[in-house]
Amino acid sequence: MHIATIQAADQNGAKAPTRRALAKQQTRAKVLAAARRLFSEQGYEGATIRDIAAAAGMSTGAVFANFADKSDLFREIMITDMVALGEDMRAAAQHGNGVEDTLLRIFTAGYAFYQTQMPLARAAFSVGWSPDDGPALRGSPPVQVLRDLIAEQLARGVERGELVEDAQVALRADMLFDAYLSNYPQAIFENWSLESLQARAHSQISLLLAGARRS
Amino acid sequence: MTSPPELPRLDDGEAAPAAAPPPVVAGAAPSARQTQKEATRNRVIAAARELFDTQGYQGTTIREIARHAKVSVGSVFTTFASKYEILSQVMVNRLDGLYAEFDRVTPHLRGSTADRLRTIFAVHFAFEARHKRLFLAYIAATYDWTLPPTSMPMGRNRRLQDVICDCLEKGKAEGDVNPDVEAQEIVDLLMAAYVWIYRLAAWHDADARAMTAIMDRQIGLIAEGFKPR
Repeated sequence: MHIATIQAADQNGAKAPTRRALAKQQTRAKVLAAARRLFSEQGYEGATIRDIAAAAGMSTGAVFANFADKSDLFREIMITDMVALGEDMRAAAQHGNGVEDTLLRIFTAGYAFYQTQMPLARAAFSVGWSPDDGPALRGSPPVQVLRDLIAEQLARGVERGELVEDAQVALRADMLFDAYLSNYPQAIFENWSLESLQARAHSQISLLLAGARRS
Repeated sequence: MTSPPELPRLDDGEAAPAAAPPPVVAGAAPSARQTQKEATRNRVIAAARELFDTQGYQGTTIREIARHAKVSVGSVFTTFASKYEILSQVMVNRLDGLYAEFDRVTPHLRGSTADRLRTIFAVHFAFEARHKRLFLAYIAATYDWTLPPTSMPMGRNRRLQDVICDCLEKGKAEGDVNPDVEAQEIVDLLMAAYVWIYRLAAWHDADARAMTAIMDRQIGLIAEGFKPR
């Protein structure tokens, strides 16, 4: 949103009419809301720009004036969500007690975040695995933040002396993040409850920490 | 592993009933049609495999597959419901060859459980590294719900999981795997690492050797978690 405002102002010079910038912002918000709904209902592949425009009550031209293409539109939705997800996870981590418990709280916050919007998570996986759009999504800063949050917990564990000095933090963080993601197929395709996801995540975390614990 | 079998066993076609009549009965109409259909199927799969490899899954159209296979677009559609179904069949056939090889090799693997697991995955990467982009497309497509859920998502491939499970059970019997850990949980972690490496490999253009090196480290870390306490 901020970026949109700044761009609009730049394009129109210093005396940018705020009203126009505002209108543009509203248009973007309307398109994003419609797109979010359609991606949830029809998946990434099933939702077309034409449908999204119709649902937002505007022309396809107006959509393209604001977004380069469908993947641009989807990326913006994902990034908004990832930022919110990162905040939820960080908040959950505050209450953690020790590495294992903190990581479990982080994972659980993630599953809870998507519990009400699994179709969107499914669309995100579809895009995340695509050879063309995947790298951009996975490498985007808000996704990095999630991974860093995990690495941070490991580093703290080392500092506190809970984990050994040579805890292979980078590798372990990658594997933990991947274990976190690996449970989504169960949630998406087999309707696992939050409790089941949590139980599974707990044993994964405990397994992946085992070699680094100071005994 | 260096010899990808060029003769995929077509044991999966719903078009071919198990009790196929002997084709020697001359002129038997259903049999001839069956053979014809089977031949079309094989040609489509062979053409698709080649095109997917050279220009990717997204970049290949059904029309091109038909042209390449020298069959009509219509007959492609009477044999397969969608492009994705062709892709699944290509993947299934290729992996069938690999698993046949696993069945021969795994009983003879030596070393610790971790080492045996490393070998299993190394064989996998050596076999499939050239097709990593295709694998990604395959995984991505399993999340695409405009398609019918016809096939097995790659990461949940039961045959590979069974191979790993056997390996872990053997480790329990031999005492280097904690009998209290649930094999399926280890399997899931290994599968997560395994599919993740394909993605990494495709993005950073890693070869089989690099993929194996990362997997070896990951297996080491997981093995610390399953060793007896």
